[in-house]
Amino acid sequence: MSAVLLEIAGLVAGYGEAPVLSDVGLRVDRGEIVTLVGSNGAGKTTLLRAISRTVNAAGTLRFDGHDLSHLTPERVFDLGLVQVPEGRQLFDRMSVEDNLRMGAYRRRDRQGVAQSFDYVYRLFPRLKERRRQIAGSMSGGEQQMCAIGRALMAAPKLLVVDEMSLGLAPVVVDQLLAVLSEVRSQGVTVLLVEQDVFAAFEIADRGYVMETGRIIREGAVAELAEDAEVRRAYLGV
Amino acid sequence: MKIRIIFIVVVVLALLAGVPWYGSASIVQFGIDALLTATLAQGWNLIGGYAGYPSFGNSVFYGLGTYGTAIAMAQFGLPFWAGLVVGGILAVLCALLLGIPILRLRGPYFAIATLGLAAAMGAVIANLGIAGRNNGLILPLFRGDALFYELALGLLALTTLMIYLVSESRFGAGLIAIRENEDAAAVMGVNTTLYKVMALALSGFVSALAGGIHAYWITFIDPGSAFDATLNVKMVIMAVFGGPGTVLGPIIGAFLLSAISEVLAAKISTVAGLFFGGVIVLAVVFMPKGLIDVGYGVRRLGLSYFVQNIRQNRL
Repeated sequence: MSAVLLEIAGLVAGYGEAPVLSDVGLRVDRGEIVTLVGSNGAGKTTLLRAISRTVNAAGTLRFDGHDLSHLTPERVFDLGLVQVPEGRQLFDRMSVEDNLRMGAYRRRDRQGVAQSFDYVYRLFPRLKERRRQIAGSMSGGEQQMCAIGRALMAAPKLLVVDEMSLGLAPVVVDQLLAVLSEVRSQGVTVLLVEQDVFAAFEIADRGYVMETGRIIREGAVAELAEDAEVRRAYLGV
Repeated sequence: MKIRIIFIVVVVLALLAGVPWYGSASIVQFGIDALLTATLAQGWNLIGGYAGYPSFGNSVFYGLGTYGTAIAMAQFGLPFWAGLVVGGILAVLCALLLGIPILRLRGPYFAIATLGLAAAMGAVIANLGIAGRNNGLILPLFRGDALFYELALGLLALTTLMIYLVSESRFGAGLIAIRENEDAAAVMGVNTTLYKVMALALSGFVSALAGGIHAYWITFIDPGSAFDATLNVKMVIMAVFGGPGTVLGPIIGAFLLSAISEVLAAKISTVAGLFFGGVIVLAVVFMPKGLIDVGYGVRRLGLSYFVQNIRQNRL
């Protein structure tokens, strides 16, 4: 088993005639937390869409030893690449428990699903308390917990979290970051896509900085945090 | 519990199946009509109620069913069952071909696109020689209301069984997920395009069978009656009145509304339409989830159930 879980190289993608990504390269090793930061419109979401095969892309795209370039989105999901989408995208009118159950939609191992329920409820006791509640009626932080929990129900190898901190209080973001660290310690690799560079750098091992469709910096977060350009553009110091 | 439900279903089916023996001729005729409309409402339920795609193109599938059957029987002298097969295949092909582009549209855009279909298909048929152009087609005469009644009942029963099986299946859960949040469903690995097209094709298939039975029963069809958009409106109203996205709601809605409109049309034909429209407006305001939800809701919340519904409508 190779140490590399996700490997992207020379990736070009876009919508119609307009290219958004040019020559993007990114690597995620097993057991890592990698963060992809960049401002609005940098191309982060397009990169995620290319990874999940919902937008066409050219270049190298490998996950867990499989070439993704010709797979359907469902197959990519089956390989264990699961997203927590931006804006959470819960089933608002369904209960928390039903939302979580939808995460296990493609799984057929009943026992495994029951174990995942236990795991998610241990990770988020709040979700267990509220499992009968309608998901749309919970607070933003609880909804984000539910979205993360739902993705974990799919037993992912790589958890891709898109803009988790959006619209959440800093204290809630800290709680969620702690949970992601815990998830990683249990063997799930995490790719954290964030505008909030402070938050992302708190838990990540390595980071990539994206600007106008290119990766402009990469390295250990400690180095990135010292990088003059990154500090000027993102940390505001 | 389960045995009791099966027992009730069997008794109700037996009572309904016995109608031609103890009912009058006009009741049997009303029954055929009500059963076929209920089948259409139930077919619509799959795409509109479960998948949440409000199709106004189901009358196209119904029309293709009538014409498929009529052409096979009147032009090629094929037996009735072969006509049904032809109609069913036509409808499924149409659902697959049109579904793939049209099901990319959401909400009102989907509804509008499907609305155009009925008119367009009617115009196509009206210009086909094999379909008798504007004059329509006359099918071989077969007198036997009892048989048509049992056929219609059988079709409704099978359609309802299918809806029940779907509602209990992974496929059904996928459709509900699409209705509740299509983007989320896609993120969770639901093959949304495949599911939506399958739902439309199944829905089209049962609608076509209902059309075929109706054509043979009524023995004469023309483009105007086969591709009637008001028929589609009727399916939607009945399914929504009874309870969309439930197994029994559309049947209850169809039977009740068929009965009301039958009584009204006989007694006070001029104001019947007005009253009917009024009933529907009130129903949508006070019980947007349909009759089937009222029993449960009132038991849980009492009369404030209705108040809550009005609030949710933001009136």
